[in-house]
Amino acid sequence: MGMRLRAGFALAVAIGALNSAVAETGLDAEALQREVLAGSCANCHGTEGRMEGVVPSLAGRSADQLEARLLAFKHEEDSGATIMNRIAKGYTDEELATLADYFSHLPAKEELTP
Amino acid sequence: MSQPWNRLSRRQLLKGLGGASAFPLMGALPSFAIGGQHAGHVVVVGGGFGGATAAKYLKRANPAIKVTLVEPADVFYTCPFSNLFLGGLRDMRSIAHNYDELRQRYGVDVVHALAEDINAEAHEVRLSTGDTLHYDRLVLSPGVDMRWDALEGYDEAAAEKAPHAWKAGHQTTLLKQQLEAMEDGGTFIMVAPGNPYRCPPGPYERAGMVAHYFKEHKPNSKVLILDAKDNFSKQGLFTAGWERLYGDRIEWVGLSNDGRVTRVDADNLEVETEFGTRHRADVLNVIPPQKAGWIADRAGVTDSSGWVPVKPETFESQQVDDIYVVGDATVAAPMPKSGFCANAQAKVVAAAIASSLEHQPAPTAYWANTCYSLVGPNYGISVAGVYRVTDGVIAEVDGAGGISPADAPDTVRALEADYAVGWYNAICQDTWGTQV
Repeated sequence: MGMRLRAGFALAVAIGALNSAVAETGLDAEALQREVLAGSCANCHGTEGRMEGVVPSLAGRSADQLEARLLAFKHEEDSGATIMNRIAKGYTDEELATLADYFSHLPAKEELTP
Repeated sequence: MSQPWNRLSRRQLLKGLGGASAFPLMGALPSFAIGGQHAGHVVVVGGGFGGATAAKYLKRANPAIKVTLVEPADVFYTCPFSNLFLGGLRDMRSIAHNYDELRQRYGVDVVHALAEDINAEAHEVRLSTGDTLHYDRLVLSPGVDMRWDALEGYDEAAAEKAPHAWKAGHQTTLLKQQLEAMEDGGTFIMVAPGNPYRCPPGPYERAGMVAHYFKEHKPNSKVLILDAKDNFSKQGLFTAGWERLYGDRIEWVGLSNDGRVTRVDADNLEVETEFGTRHRADVLNVIPPQKAGWIADRAGVTDSSGWVPVKPETFESQQVDDIYVVGDATVAAPMPKSGFCANAQAKVVAAAIASSLEHQPAPTAYWANTCYSLVGPNYGISVAGVYRVTDGVIAEVDGAGGISPADAPDTVRALEADYAVGWYNAICQDTWGTQV
């Protein structure tokens, strides 16, 4: 399955017809759900959590570290927290783990196709 | 094409195929209308926080969706941080955003025209250019309009003398010019509206920013807020911050103390309250009652309140099928009318529409909100909330959210002022692609 998808994906890109790939496969509901769960994170951390500045970037960081930090925020164990302690309390431990996993799988730097 | 595809995980490939995360891998892609095939046409009306985000995230969810964004302005000025312009902390250019990323990177068809009418039955939007757009799904992000009939003496002509500056742009620069032209020792009066209105903490941030400008340039001048309500967002934090930074330079008069203005005389910069007290201003800022932007009326999605009731999980109109509404125009309480919420709602709407076009159920909705306000240049405060649908209504998650601690040291206020800038940069990058 993995190989077939990979080959199919490369081909779709090569012929510049990702639209038909999407139309054929439908939406990946699970991936879309994760995007929605993570949607509000981008408002301070940038699209896909990738923005350098006073608010730290999230993309490509270790899932374990992200999850530990989110749990520390949630349980008021991070004395440096200003707002993430208030936000993390709005999510279950499982949702925080999903968010950590989501951001860890995104590239830290944008990979733009020339 | 020499991309190392074999380095990608299966998850990334799945996401790439699903479109959910295609763009970080794909980079700048042309429009996907190749071969004339698309997965449906979505028209988005309004290019603010809600509309621009909806357009971008529709393309991110599925690049095969044809997305047309209708927005009259080439350049969009944000209400967030327009108070910082009034305070002298920023110029207007720093709050200006354009539609280049949506066009060039995401393949959104951006049409600079006014949407003049909507025929929901025929699924058509009529534009000021004379063109008509047919949609499969429509997203309205119409923002607010002033209720010109709600406050005696305050109409569009009066707003040229006593600006509301509650839509950023000409009104903002007008108010700034008036503040600059004012003699030292003058009084700035702000008329603040009852709930609901755009940006609940906005008037009080503005009071602080104007006081900051006075402190620096016109030290004998005062700020008077005449308020139609008795409580406001982050009240304790604002009040403490004002006292700390500006002493008695800011005076707030609430509803119970005859703060509600019922008549405006813009020619003489005078206002009259409920019980007949008259106040004369040197600069008069009237923030009148508001309603959903008028195109929402034309679409038939507003109710008798003037706002738009929506289905909580998807923000589809409760009254008209296939029309989704985001942002300040909606009835989404306890979510506030904020740019952050408009952006967050737009992502949920984009996912719901992308799913519905594929005949799939909408994902579970998640939203959060964070509103930073500056009391002074190095003095920030915030309120946050996390929301989801509980028992069929939008509800705040218990135990989450809340305001900055009342007893926080100056270092935390300074940090929150920095984070306010970080937030602004991030949300503008997320919405319009603006790079700092």
